[in-house]
Amino acid sequence: MTTPTNIPSLEREDHILDQLKEKFGDAIKESRVSRRSRPEVTVAMEKMLEVSRFLRDELGFDRANGAGGADYLRDQKMEVIYHVSNLARKETRDIILSVKEIIPRSSPKVNSLVSIWPSVENFERETYEMYGITFDGHPHLEKLFLIDNWDGPPPLRKDVRIPTD
Amino acid sequence: MTSVVSSEPSESGSQTLTISVGPQHSGSGHMRLIIEMDGDIIIRASPDPGYVHRGTEKIYELRNIIKNIPVIERPAIIDASNLNHAYIRAVEELQGIEAPPRAQYLRCLLNEMNRITSHLYWLSIFGVFLGHTTMFMWPLGDRELIVDLQEKLTGARITHSYIVPGGVRRDLPQGMKEEAIKRTQYLEKRLEEYDKIFFENPIFTARAKGVGKLSRDEAVKLGAVGPALRGSGVDYDVRKDEPYAAYPELDFNVCTRQEGDSYARSMARIDEIRESCKLIRQIVQKIPSGPFRRKAPIVVPRGESYSRVESARGECSVYLIGDGGDKPYRLRFITGSYRNMAIIAPVLIGGHMADMPTAWWSIDYWPVEADR
Amino acid sequence: MSASQKARQQPDEDPIAMLADGINVWIGKLGDIVHTIVDRTPIRHVINWGRIYSLWPVNITTACCSAEFGAASGARHDLERFGVLPLGSLRQSDLMVVEGTVTNKMAKRLKMIYDQMAVPRYVIAMGDCSISGGLFHDSYSIVNGVHEFLPVDVYVPGCPPRPEALEQGIIMLQEKIRSSKVYEHT
Repeated sequence: MTTPTNIPSLEREDHILDQLKEKFGDAIKESRVSRRSRPEVTVAMEKMLEVSRFLRDELGFDRANGAGGADYLRDQKMEVIYHVSNLARKETRDIILSVKEIIPRSSPKVNSLVSIWPSVENFERETYEMYGITFDGHPHLEKLFLIDNWDGPPPLRKDVRIPTD
Repeated sequence: MTSVVSSEPSESGSQTLTISVGPQHSGSGHMRLIIEMDGDIIIRASPDPGYVHRGTEKIYELRNIIKNIPVIERPAIIDASNLNHAYIRAVEELQGIEAPPRAQYLRCLLNEMNRITSHLYWLSIFGVFLGHTTMFMWPLGDRELIVDLQEKLTGARITHSYIVPGGVRRDLPQGMKEEAIKRTQYLEKRLEEYDKIFFENPIFTARAKGVGKLSRDEAVKLGAVGPALRGSGVDYDVRKDEPYAAYPELDFNVCTRQEGDSYARSMARIDEIRESCKLIRQIVQKIPSGPFRRKAPIVVPRGESYSRVESARGECSVYLIGDGGDKPYRLRFITGSYRNMAIIAPVLIGGHMADMPTAWWSIDYWPVEADR
Repeated sequence: MSASQKARQQPDEDPIAMLADGINVWIGKLGDIVHTIVDRTPIRHVINWGRIYSLWPVNITTACCSAEFGAASGARHDLERFGVLPLGSLRQSDLMVVEGTVTNKMAKRLKMIYDQMAVPRYVIAMGDCSISGGLFHDSYSIVNGVHEFLPVDVYVPGCPPRPEALEQGIIMLQEKIRSSKVYEHT
């Protein structure tokens, strides 16, 4: 049981989200801070490239920790989630910002962020083969792990059931 | 990554030769490298992963959170507890519980022992690659001393499944403290002997110094992690930058080297073994008393959590989405080797073919961990 | 004989062809006789003894069980005392230890490697994954057991099996070879 004085302040995280909301207004669909060092923001798909450039150049998020997808079959939507952090300033290396975009399940196409964070190249390739989401502007959008392994529909989609016998 | 072009072919306009190395080779794990060469110089390299892709991200959604623990551990089986730790931290964050302090220390103890055994295994395969059979036998023999400690603590040699939601499965046994201190002190003395036969051996220094250079900017840009990044001068270590478990209370250094070549990456790992020995001694001496496990439900509450841990090969992260059931709705698992897949090409390009084993193995790319 | 008479002669009446056929049959029978002699007398024990104590495995480290294979080849559980030494190319190996999960992508290559090994060749399926799919049995990209496409001699269960279990598996393979005929294994 923590006493009130133990609750860490969420100033840094709130400040990041405030700057984003101030600059992009309605393009920021949702934002919250789930706990210390973990701000989350949902961005409209069309503005994702601009928001990412702002994050890298103005707010100092120079490193992408990972990228992945999620499938919400019931709501007929899919999500692409990027986790970004900063490497240059030691004091804020612990913050990981989740940047999400929601895309319709019937036509999953988004802009690739390889031009902003080159390290997401392999992660976007994997999301393409596992979910069928196309990334526009990706230098080599091909299958990464599934060649010769699986020929069927994108396996991580929720409506693909793998037969076991 | 299919191809990275970095230098033009020679001026004579001769043809380049594309060869494929693997998947059967004397290293560890199956991966194919498609290498294009101009004469003896490598000008393009692209990894062809997927030979050990077992589709674990789909399996995680089919098993409940306890049954997922062995599946989480298998990608890097010799470094299992680090991966296990990342996963359990994500689960506990969603459940809103925290393991008792004694459990946090025990988790760190197993993590450090795994780090030592993983680096010693890497070292012995390095000996195989370079044709130094003594360097194949000695680290494996010394590694058995630490594997014995792991077995004493958890009951299993390498696949411990020791870290569970709420704590750890077993308490520190009697006699473990003295054994740990004795064995880590012996291991530190042995590292000096390794220096004499291998790391100061002119054959190794000629083969490793200046080979496989990775500049600091390139390493950061491509997202490298672990000793492969720290060998290029970047002091990024999750244990210091976002301390977890008992690490805020423990005293250790982040081991970096500046040169960025294979020698620097190898020495960064050896320095890490020394630091881990010191950490193990600190842990067994400072460990607090108390319970080692508290009750935790077998449920993944609604929400999302992201946790990361410094495994032997770099930052290992788990992104968990829960929907209230007992199985994860989505578990995104990115391991250190998967992040380092991006630096295989820059490290190899520009070097000779005979330098390929040294350069490639100095990254410590573990194909099973990258393919998951 | 005239040329036309020679041409009209049946092939099996040609004395040289008949002699050649006869010699072929006799050499075939001689080959059978050699096989039978070698299989029945102490020569079989000598040849099997040579095979048992020099089982050279191919250098493949399929998946996680390779960590325990590596530990078994190391200093404490030395596999070389059984003659097991991964040396040289796969053309001169006679043992394949399938360590761990076999994916669809790797299965084709394993078959290629198996076909290139020298006869007699043996396969040890090490670990639960190569026996039945193991922990990953419901994955979309694996083959549930290496026996689906390779003939297995010894199964070593475990996840992963301890080095002592692998040594036991090799001893069982040696017993199997000791009691088998020289020319029966392909």
